[in-house]
Amino acid sequence: MELRFNREKNRQERLAFVRRHALWVREVPNEVWSREQADLIDAFFENAENFALSRSEYLRMHRARRRHPETVHG
Amino acid sequence: MRIASAPDGSIQIDGKVVTALDRFVASVTGIIEQYTRYVIISGYVAILFGRARGTEDIDLYIDYMDRDTFMSFSKDLLEQGFYFLNSDDTSEIYSMLCDRLAVRIAKAGRIIPNIEMKFKKDDFDRYAMSRAKRVQFDDIRFFISPIELQIPYKLYLGSDKDIEDAVYLWMLFRETLDGDLLRSFMERLQVRGEQYGIEV
Repeated sequence: MELRFNREKNRQERLAFVRRHALWVREVPNEVWSREQADLIDAFFENAENFALSRSEYLRMHRARRRHPETVHG
Repeated sequence: MRIASAPDGSIQIDGKVVTALDRFVASVTGIIEQYTRYVIISGYVAILFGRARGTEDIDLYIDYMDRDTFMSFSKDLLEQGFYFLNSDDTSEIYSMLCDRLAVRIAKAGRIIPNIEMKFKKDDFDRYAMSRAKRVQFDDIRFFISPIELQIPYKLYLGSDKDIEDAVYLWMLFRETLDGDLLRSFMERLQVRGEQYGIEV
């Protein structure tokens, strides 16, 4: 079985999007970028009420991440 | 983005729509401020300035509190509908902080989002706290780490998400940053940004 996912290409595409998005945020009024961002973040916030892990499972997950750090920072 | 800088160095983001996440963070920092100083670091700094992503935790450092002050703070926090995820025993929470561990604060009944809170511990944390920037929008006021420290710190953490945050902050603020300060933090943290277009 062959996985045709190019991690570096994906990373560069994501960085290109971040740069484009930053340029857009610079150009438009605060009301515009922040309305779009609020829609995304508020949806995420609402959905977090249905978070599947219990308190102890969540803390266990973070302890495991610290042992194998990708990152633990928000 | 229209950002107004006041003579005292504070940053005003007029017209920003307040998110539920902003309200959550403000409700906790509002309590912390009554007891000690704090500074927000890491991902939420980029999110405050428009980065299009969610986060499950918001990182902040606080100044040291003695046990009695911490117990009063905890009581206030619990009374206002928050709790510590790590333990229901506030003495244990205080011991964790004194051991330089992070503790997590969430709204009762929720796991995420949560505030990951630590005592400040090293020169970088002390710098972030002493030179914290005040950010204001709507009726909210936060203290955040200087961007010149956040970009190198994010490069230092080094995950894809962290590097994207660093690039985002650089693209947004590159003309207004103190280049010497940014360069000095990059040298001290031994990180380079050229490969990401962060050239100082």
